Amino acid sequence: MVSEIFQSSNMLFLMGGFKVTLEIGICSIIFSVILGTIFGIARHLEIPVISTISIIYIDIVRNIPCLLLVLIVRFMTPLPPVISGIAAMSIFTAATMAEVVRGGLNSIPKGQYEAAYSQGMSRFQVLRFIVVPQAYRNIIPPMMSEFTTIIKDSSFVWAVGTEELTGRGMILIGKYSTTGQLFTIFACVALIYFVLNYSLSTLARWEYKRLHANMN
Amino acid sequence: MKLSTKKIVSVATLVAIAAFGLFATGCGSSETEKDVKSSADSSGAVIQKIKSNGVLKVGCKVDVPLFGYKNPDTGNIEGFEIDLAKAVTKKIFGDDSKVAFTPVTAKTRGPLLDSGELDMIVATYTINEERKKQYNFTDPYYTDPVGLLVKKADNIQSLKDLDGKTIAVPQGATTRKAVDEAAKKAGISVKFAEFPTYTECKSAIMSGRAAAYAMDQSNLHGYVDDQTVILPDSFAPQEYGIATKKDNAELSDYVNQVLNDMKNSGEMDQLLVKWKLKN
Amino acid sequence: MNEIFAEYKWIALFDDLDIFIEGFITTMEVAVCALILSLILGIIFGVAGVLPQKWVRCINRVYVEFFQNTPLVIQAIFLYHALPHLHIMLPVTAIGILGVGIYSGAYMSEIFRSGINAVPKGQMESGLSQGFSYWKTMWYIIIPQAKRMILPALGNQSINIIKNTSVLAMIAGGDMMYVADSWAGSNMYYGPAYLSIGIVYWIVCFLMTKCVKRLESKGEVGQHGF
Repeated sequence: MVSEIFQSSNMLFLMGGFKVTLEIGICSIIFSVILGTIFGIARHLEIPVISTISIIYIDIVRNIPCLLLVLIVRFMTPLPPVISGIAAMSIFTAATMAEVVRGGLNSIPKGQYEAAYSQGMSRFQVLRFIVVPQAYRNIIPPMMSEFTTIIKDSSFVWAVGTEELTGRGMILIGKYSTTGQLFTIFACVALIYFVLNYSLSTLARWEYKRLHANMN
Repeated sequence: MKLSTKKIVSVATLVAIAAFGLFATGCGSSETEKDVKSSADSSGAVIQKIKSNGVLKVGCKVDVPLFGYKNPDTGNIEGFEIDLAKAVTKKIFGDDSKVAFTPVTAKTRGPLLDSGELDMIVATYTINEERKKQYNFTDPYYTDPVGLLVKKADNIQSLKDLDGKTIAVPQGATTRKAVDEAAKKAGISVKFAEFPTYTECKSAIMSGRAAAYAMDQSNLHGYVDDQTVILPDSFAPQEYGIATKKDNAELSDYVNQVLNDMKNSGEMDQLLVKWKLKN
Repeated sequence: MNEIFAEYKWIALFDDLDIFIEGFITTMEVAVCALILSLILGIIFGVAGVLPQKWVRCINRVYVEFFQNTPLVIQAIFLYHALPHLHIMLPVTAIGILGVGIYSGAYMSEIFRSGINAVPKGQMESGLSQGFSYWKTMWYIIIPQAKRMILPALGNQSINIIKNTSVLAMIAGGDMMYVADSWAGSNMYYGPAYLSIGIVYWIVCFLMTKCVKRLESKGEVGQHGF
């Protein structure tokens, strides 16, 4: 019956999938933020070679589906399953992160740069001490909402058989056949994603409020 | 001005990538033949490389009871194919624990060989002419016909009753072609719905999205429950072989030798009996 | 690497081009209908998010939070595998449209809601003081100004919709991704298959961006203030 779903072996099974989702999510968040920041800054500062690479990379990756990237990375690289999932998600999201960083940096009025240069600061000093602290305010909230997208899109790796939360949920669904049990499993899986993502987006909202509270 | 240059560069890059893909075709075919010849000469080199890796990388199923199945209670992967892989490992390393299993699905098993992630695949992989062009296979170690799983409540008695219905098949399996041919022979027409994994095929018949789940019978036995039944029809016997990369003929021959030795020594039969695949 | 893109594989792809074209047509159908659905839902729930009545705003919150915080994959699989148990058997294209449309509708409604909220409160007050009703003020004064904030974000979402139709590949949906996957699955020619649909997706999204940019310039959207 429906209560069968809640026996510990099933819950542990789902939790194993949740663990994989978290692994992919956290690692992808870290890598995509690092990569995205590098590419975003490179584009903003127009550093010769890296800037062109960023433009090409961002323009290509932003226009293809995440699922396609997951398939390509899985099949064309010798990476083990979870790592290829992390690579695919990082590559996909870093492009968006780069645009968020660039947008944030662009939002700082040119006057700030000019004032800083006139004080004799180098380009990197300007970035570090003047621009980034101000841009941070515009970068962090959209970045954090990308975190929830990473967690949700990590479910695409199920298409290549990697058993994360969605995959484990599907396997359980194959085991049980009554309507009540099916709906319960869906509800459990959706609830886990919801709790995780809602917490992340609430954190983002708090951070946004905190950063924008001082403005007026 | 800047904007359009950027776009032109991106388009040019895409065109370049596409052109590279087409251009690479010219180099493609001849290079492979050369590789095959050279690996046959370097005897022992491939095995040496595997030994220096310290582990044999094998792709196996984890959702096919009796062949490759992850026991939910112990978390261990066990089955007839697992034992075969262990036997090969023992031959190479003298120790059958030096093997790393990577779960594969019907869809992922081939490409993972190409990318070099796996040394060999032993995952209910059917041998056929089309595949032999792209991978090396050993001689068959098991033969299994395709069967059909249906819901008891649907009252389907045989393949003929599936006229005009949808059949769920896994992506990457030979099942679709096999069922297609059998349907043509029986004079009926069927539609197909392909899913990335076996569990989704099962869900499809349970929800009514498909009328039947077609797959090798040994696989179906793992999914039958009190609401479903396997039809008596069986067709297109599928021969399973161990697959290795196309330019790795040496490994294929080696593994084939191991399998033949097992067949001759009776070890193969013992394993078959152990897993209840033979009486 | 070269073998993955071998010539005979490309020839086979062009032989089977008609199934790829069918897949492309399905993708476009689902994308266009989902876009329309998400716009409609976005406007309805977006406006609901700014209305003074608290219970209406609550409905907006529930809709947005639920669909923005659960994966599209789960929503699509639920519609496909679970609904039939309630005797609701939708054709798979409809599932694509509903799934992608409702999911994107949540994002659209946030875009509309924040766009409307960005218009200074004074505008609504002036409108009402001139004798316009609430809805007339909305229609003639607020929304045209909100349009400028909204258009770029809408463009972004439309591209996401086109990309998200690929979820149909996981439920045998017959879209471009499914066709490429299934074709590559049967003959292992996954190199040409994935590269071609990657290019097609790219072209469609690229054209979409161009369209939106043109709409933006027509509407004089951009750095201008109100």
